[in-house]
Amino acid sequence: MPAALLLASEGGFTVTGPKVIASFDLFGITWNLTETVFIQWIVMLVLLIVMLILTHRLEVIPRTKRQAAAEWIVTFARNMVDTTMGPKYKGYTTYIGALLCFLLLNNLMSLFGLKNPTSDISVTGAIALITFALTQINRARTGKVKGFFHAFIEPMPFMLPFNIIGEIANPLSQALRIFGNMVAGMVIGGLIYFALGNFAILIPAITSLYFDIFSAVIQAYIFTTLTMAYISGAECE
Amino acid sequence: MEDMQLLSSAIVLGASALGAGTAMIAGLGPGIGEGICASKAVEAIGRQPEASGAVTRTMIIGDALAETTGLYALVIALLLLYANPLFSNLTALFNK
Repeated sequence: MPAALLLASEGGFTVTGPKVIASFDLFGITWNLTETVFIQWIVMLVLLIVMLILTHRLEVIPRTKRQAAAEWIVTFARNMVDTTMGPKYKGYTTYIGALLCFLLLNNLMSLFGLKNPTSDISVTGAIALITFALTQINRARTGKVKGFFHAFIEPMPFMLPFNIIGEIANPLSQALRIFGNMVAGMVIGGLIYFALGNFAILIPAITSLYFDIFSAVIQAYIFTTLTMAYISGAECE
Repeated sequence: MEDMQLLSSAIVLGASALGAGTAMIAGLGPGIGEGICASKAVEAIGRQPEASGAVTRTMIIGDALAETTGLYALVIALLLLYANPLFSNLTALFNK
């Protein structure tokens, strides 16, 4: 919500898309470097530095607090994958752990006064498309060609349009869920700052507790849980 | 011509405002659904207090999932208020 402060300017309250920092023309298309991409670079840099610090000089028996924290993160991700997907999907632990950390830090960026990258539908749509691709790949991998197409007429042949719509609705709803939560937090924060003007002392902090912290953590966790549920649910016997 | 443009802009903006308000009637659904979810969670904890951690976590996940359709309506309402495509289509029509 501190980022929402920038929206509530003197003349009124407007919500705009991400600002374009730089742009260049290549192959006839204009490539825009938006602040969304730039803040994601900051997120990637922070995650890289934190992970490098946490995994520096590991020992078999953990002696430092750093290694205990690193092991806690890995154990958390592995438990999540174990309980939701089953022990057969152990290889997905790295992607799920990375997805969780990335989405968590992206959602929490509004606490640092920057605009959330996940309040841009491009970001959430892209990550939901990755989940969609992983789902279809898992279905094709376990069922081969025949199982892949047979899964759409389970349990009855007239369910074909409903199954197709369900497959498309899954990534769409995933993307819109995080996008809607983050944009709602941004807009409501901006409106509160705009309405209170110079007296914005206690109330923005309380609403920021829900929108910036609770909603961010829950939405990142839910996106990851749904990803795991979709991928493991697409398995054909 | 100016009056016609003003009139049609006013109609589109007024209709968008009406639509944005009507869209948020969909806030009814998640309210009822999450209330039912919380009541079932409270019943479950009352019957088995040692499962309260797992029940609470599942309730939170169910809440966030049920919130989705309310969020769809909020996105439509915000779209109509702040990034109105109908109004920008209209102004593009005028400038042609």
